[in-house]
Amino acid sequence: MAAADPFDSALDLLRRLNPKHTAEHLNNIMALAPDLTEDLLSSVDQPLTVRRCKQTGRDYLLCDYNRDGDSYRSPWSNQFDPPLDEAGAGVGGVGPGGANEGAGEGAVPGERVRKMEIKANEAFDVYRELYYEGGVSSVYLWNLDDGFAGVVLLKKASPPNDGSSSGVWDSIHVFEASERGRTSNYRLTSTVILTLATRGAALGEVDLSGNMTRQVEQDLPVDNDDSHIANIGRLVEDMELKMRNLLQEVYFGKAKDVVGDLRSVGSLSEGQRDRETHRELIGSMRR
Amino acid sequence: MASAKAIVSSFVEGAPPGELADVLADIKALTLSSPHLVDELGPAFKKYNEEQFATVKLPGASQPVIVSSHNSLGGDRYYDLESSVSFGFDHATQKASAVESYVAEGEAVDLAKSILKALSAYVKEHYPNAAYGVYPIENDSKVAIIIVANKYSPNNFWNGRWRSLYLFDPSSSSLEGSIKVDVHYYEDGNVRLLTNKAATASVPSGTGQAVVREIAAGEKKYQEELNRSFTSLSEGAFKALRRQLPVTRQKIEWDKVASYRLGQDIGGGSGRR
Repeated sequence: MAAADPFDSALDLLRRLNPKHTAEHLNNIMALAPDLTEDLLSSVDQPLTVRRCKQTGRDYLLCDYNRDGDSYRSPWSNQFDPPLDEAGAGVGGVGPGGANEGAGEGAVPGERVRKMEIKANEAFDVYRELYYEGGVSSVYLWNLDDGFAGVVLLKKASPPNDGSSSGVWDSIHVFEASERGRTSNYRLTSTVILTLATRGAALGEVDLSGNMTRQVEQDLPVDNDDSHIANIGRLVEDMELKMRNLLQEVYFGKAKDVVGDLRSVGSLSEGQRDRETHRELIGSMRR
Repeated sequence: MASAKAIVSSFVEGAPPGELADVLADIKALTLSSPHLVDELGPAFKKYNEEQFATVKLPGASQPVIVSSHNSLGGDRYYDLESSVSFGFDHATQKASAVESYVAEGEAVDLAKSILKALSAYVKEHYPNAAYGVYPIENDSKVAIIIVANKYSPNNFWNGRWRSLYLFDPSSSSLEGSIKVDVHYYEDGNVRLLTNKAATASVPSGTGQAVVREIAAGEKKYQEELNRSFTSLSEGAFKALRRQLPVTRQKIEWDKVASYRLGQDIGGGSGRR
């Protein structure tokens, strides 16, 4: 048997260990295999951190795509915090303009893409208010050779109501838009990290945590840059609706079913007798 | 920073139900440069097996037996009261060996056997696939009662475990314990349900039947409570995080999204002042 690839093994391990502590497991894996650090940091989604923009007073979300070293760029002011050392970098909204990898290296989009980024942040701020009624959203875009790419981030925490249950939702939608004349090809990878906890005297402690990832690819018509934002908006909206339903099914349906498979609330022999009686009844009706 | 040994040990201890071998394979692939690390995992495997109540089927037996600190004879040997045998257990491979007959002696053996008889009937009525055991502990001053149910469905990307542990003290008639449920779902994701419920009760008559009756009532009540909690989390915390649709019950008109801000006051998000 061929030796397993360490990167795949790291991802497999993160898929098995308690998802509530992914950050801790990730740090441990990187301590064991430092070579994997960069690949893991750019492919493992972690709960998002909120920071307040010093220029605008608005909250934004931190991720690898708006990071440069230890600084993060606010989508509202386009400024890095703390400010970058080099004069000119990250100031004024116009970066090098060419393609950049987007992650961790002064990810400032060019002028056209920054204009779209501003509009996308406004659009997803509306989306956030309509669907989340609170929380924080941020959109970061960066240039690609044949188009652009970006990430749409949404985070909402619900504080413990009457001290018993609480929850945190993090959405991370990474997409690439390849421009092909009057249409554009969009590839979207979406991850939702959802943590729920509740406790009570008769219940004890219940923790229901995890993350799910889904992908979609679609070609859509494009008239102008505003159509990009509408296209990405629809893709993210449809994906979140799909994933919310999926999460509901897994967290509350599947988990409950598995508990029921482990232990039966009702008596197994009575259940068996009922099924036999039912079968006999059906049999007698057929005769 | 934690040592490499401490890190890989924590991975072993965090293995979901039925996935110890997968976790071990991942550890091996991540520590290729220091293959000796895996040889140092003995204590971690033992801790995992004893805490998770590992089960093993002995040759010729119809029911699995349990591995725990409560039926340990020391030196990686364990015993089962119901079938009157002891066995060696390899914590790394989870395989049993060297099965011998073993007759438990002591003041609490009769009580343990009486509980065992009632427990066996209860487990058959409510657990489609479980192992159970009752063992005198602490110089026959108490009796440990264990139920562990596993259901593994790796082809469908889920596994689950239910663990119950109770300690009955006949001198005070007190029954104390805990129920823990662990469910893992990992199709294009990683979702984990972990529960922990402490259980305390008093069983004045102290008979085996009465002890098991108390356990049965407590577990029924707990499972019903847990089932209700899925509904209340879904209707409560989950709904409060994200709506299925906006209040208008319509999806967003993205072509007009810029006018949403002008046309209606959608209120200030937490990010705005």
